[in-house]
Amino acid sequence: MFKVVNKRHFTEKCFAFSTRFSLLICASVLLFLLGSIAIQGIGAISLEFLFTPAREFGKSGGIFYQLFGSLLIVLVAALLVLPIAFGTALFRNAYNNNLAIAKIMDQSLYALNAIPSVTYGIFGLIFFVNFLGTGISWFVGSIILAIMMLPTVTLSTHQAMLAIPKIYHENAAALGLPKKEIIRRVTLPQSFHGIVTGLLISLARAIGETAPIMFIATAFSGVKVPGSLVEPVSTLPTHILELAQQSTDPQALQNAWGASLTLVTLAAIFSGFALFLRRRLTPEGHS
Amino acid sequence: MSTLAAMPPKSAPQHGDALKAYCQISAILSVLIVALILSTLILQSGPVLSLKNSGMFSTHWNPDAGQYGMMPMVFGSVFVMIIAAIVAFPIGLMTAIYISETRSSKLRRFIKSVLELLTGIPSIVYGLIGVAYLNIWVAEAFDLQSGRIILTAGILLGIMILPTFLTLTEDAISTVPARFRENAKALGLYRHEIFKLTILPQAKSGIAGAGLLAIGRALGETMAVMLVIGSLDRLPSPLFNPLSSGQTITSKLGREVGESAFGSAHFSALVFMSLILVSITIVLTIISQYFLSRKNTYV
Repeated sequence: MFKVVNKRHFTEKCFAFSTRFSLLICASVLLFLLGSIAIQGIGAISLEFLFTPAREFGKSGGIFYQLFGSLLIVLVAALLVLPIAFGTALFRNAYNNNLAIAKIMDQSLYALNAIPSVTYGIFGLIFFVNFLGTGISWFVGSIILAIMMLPTVTLSTHQAMLAIPKIYHENAAALGLPKKEIIRRVTLPQSFHGIVTGLLISLARAIGETAPIMFIATAFSGVKVPGSLVEPVSTLPTHILELAQQSTDPQALQNAWGASLTLVTLAAIFSGFALFLRRRLTPEGHS
Repeated sequence: MSTLAAMPPKSAPQHGDALKAYCQISAILSVLIVALILSTLILQSGPVLSLKNSGMFSTHWNPDAGQYGMMPMVFGSVFVMIIAAIVAFPIGLMTAIYISETRSSKLRRFIKSVLELLTGIPSIVYGLIGVAYLNIWVAEAFDLQSGRIILTAGILLGIMILPTFLTLTEDAISTVPARFRENAKALGLYRHEIFKLTILPQAKSGIAGAGLLAIGRALGETMAVMLVIGSLDRLPSPLFNPLSSGQTITSKLGREVGESAFGSAHFSALVFMSLILVSITIVLTIISQYFLSRKNTYV
């Protein structure tokens, strides 16, 4: 197979071969994943599928209320996380001089990132659903997703604030602007891109989460537009879960593929938008 | 700290204070949330820990008989994680080497953005792919009745952590300055020798961080594993038989939390398992952050 000159040469050939072979495996896995989602999904998706409610426990009909529920839960979560993430990042950058506090804040955010998604579900079930007595509620789902989004949005905002050239602050201070004016006129506009991209990236992740919301926020069937904060909704991920468990039924499986493609597309739209805005909004002079 | 922090507030104390108070409250909230989650889990673990004969270290899980043996789940989690690492690490490392060696920065950027796309696929969709394809292929390959076994879960999980491991490893390799590579090449070393002798010693802390982060993800992954592992609360026999059905901590939680009554010993046992899981993943992440920050890369 190889022209063996000596042992070193042979090892080199093996090394080169195995890196190429690994790349080939990665590429085929990638093609298979994206291809199967796209091909199976396109077969199931139509305008009618997107805009009619599910029938027969999801086997026929569409995914209208699931789509609505997913968007409702994540968009409200984004609204909830926005002020807290911004305030935390601003505190870290503008008010905190204490290195120990900064360390504690970093570690807490890393820890939040490390907590498995199913644990968030259990926490929500104990603390909100039972302890605070909300019952199964889409709004609790939003709160839990907001907590999961917090590290990403905060760190992204924080990084953007760190990247603001020092001279901007110094100039503003030299003009005699008070601190809150500096924040309003320099920090906020100059770190805006960090908030927006952080939010979009975490939205892309949050919309696909199943485990955090399946105990606390969703019901499988018979759910329409919620009339209050403490009613369940249906979401795409939990819908896929139910259908995947009836995977021997081709009709259910087909709808699961349709819902999956919708979900992946939504996530891709959010992250694509984040990439686009990162380029458009990043001010000059930033890394 | 930024220069802004060093400056004393000058005027408009009322508004400035309101803004400061808002920032402080947000910061306190985001730190307290972690504490709240952990203390909630610890408190709810109480009932099963105070049980005398909970038999947590046994291998029998039968809540109706008051047996809460967690060993099959703990073993399943570790076993699946090991298989995932075996699947993902060699392929990820070799691919990362290839990508970082290639001279085309266009190709590199393209691969990177595709990998980002892959990490965006929700785990439930991986689960669906596992159920619809992998499951059946594994059953055919090993001539089994059902492909819902530990091996399937391990492979699926390996595929899921591959993008994370690959990008972080590639970052670690790419941050090694080019002059090391060039010098080694000028000495007439082959590529595998360059990698072993100059790149690896400098990138290994980053690669270790990537690996730890990836297995942390693998341990905490729920939906995909839950759909393909077969949900059998027994230790495989023989012990390291990947072709038997099993259960991980996460798949157990996903299946049973909804069914157990709040406040019961059964529920408390599940919460305690979750607490074990959280402790492991937090420790893994903190160690991996340490490794990754040593090489000035970030997640």
